[in-house]
Amino acid sequence: MSGRSMGLLRRDAEARREAEGKGRAQGLETGWTITSYLIGGMAAYGGIGALVGRAVHISMLFPIGMLVGLAISLVYIVYRFGRQQAGSGTTASPKGDDR
Amino acid sequence: MTGDVQVVAAPAGGCHIFSGCGYPAPGLQDFDFRPMFTIGSFGFTKPMLIAVLCALAVIAFFAFAFSRPRLVPRGVQNIGELAILTVRDQVLRPALGRKGDGYLPLLVSLFFFIWLMNLMELIPFFQFPAMSRIGFVWPLVAVVYILYLYLGFKNQGGWGYLRNMIPPGVPFFILPILIPVEVARFFIVQPFTLGIRLFANMFAGHLLLTIFYLATWYMLSLSIGLLYAVGSAFMVVFVFLLELLVDLLQAFIFTTLTATYIASSLEAEH
Repeated sequence: MSGRSMGLLRRDAEARREAEGKGRAQGLETGWTITSYLIGGMAAYGGIGALVGRAVHISMLFPIGMLVGLAISLVYIVYRFGRQQAGSGTTASPKGDDR
Repeated sequence: MTGDVQVVAAPAGGCHIFSGCGYPAPGLQDFDFRPMFTIGSFGFTKPMLIAVLCALAVIAFFAFAFSRPRLVPRGVQNIGELAILTVRDQVLRPALGRKGDGYLPLLVSLFFFIWLMNLMELIPFFQFPAMSRIGFVWPLVAVVYILYLYLGFKNQGGWGYLRNMIPPGVPFFILPILIPVEVARFFIVQPFTLGIRLFANMFAGHLLLTIFYLATWYMLSLSIGLLYAVGSAFMVVFVFLLELLVDLLQAFIFTTLTATYIASSLEAEH
């Protein structure tokens, strides 16, 4: 095999390795971002519910706020990350991650 | 009581199954250490010693490996280059590409410091992962997050950075609903999970190892307990091997997430 084709093969292998690594890093970040949204939604709206509940003396607003936050997070996750699967398939970056 | 397994085992010295004493279950007390020495009101403990030694070991290794760099690497320089290239190709390049090579020193230092700190739970005499004390994790999270925010504001501007948290195309009237979620995720949950993940894995791993070490000793007797002791000793080996993997994996995850955070801060520049 000539030196040129060896070089091409090596470059090809490097590019493949880099693409695999990129997919792994993106997958890791997407996974933890989704986890953060689920907890963040419950924390934010649970907190708002607790504050409002404290003001109007209705303690049920805290768990209701958490459930509302969870629902908002789920819809947001589907909006932000679900579309890339439904669209062209695999290569498009997550909707909100294009900053 | 100190957290050292040897010292924890000491009170259990003659304490075996069927000898009338209960299993000396490990707990939170195994993560508290008596100061080795004090300077005024400041007590220097074993986890602090481990942290200092790990930092010195990482600095000394790379300083020695590259003190007289050669074009064709020899000896320790080979290992040093392998270490740096592994972090570059497996952590930095996938997230940041070639433009991120300037962040290689930060990521290499972070990766090897965390890995070594974690590995200390498996090394005799030390036998404690300093990262299972959360006070050692938060400063690392602070370094990463302050850099993340600084780069984001620097590269995308204050307003642009905040605006880019919300994906484009979201209807205007939805924004008030999403902003609390994004603020909670970005400023509270994301740094919290970055730190807690590392801490919790190390904490649980050390506790598991201690439980099985102590159980092996406790069950050791000329009775049916011997059978359980063998089973527990087998679990020690299994958890030991598992922790070897977890130590590396946690250092890898922390560094990879740091790289992806930096990438998302720089993206406007890309």
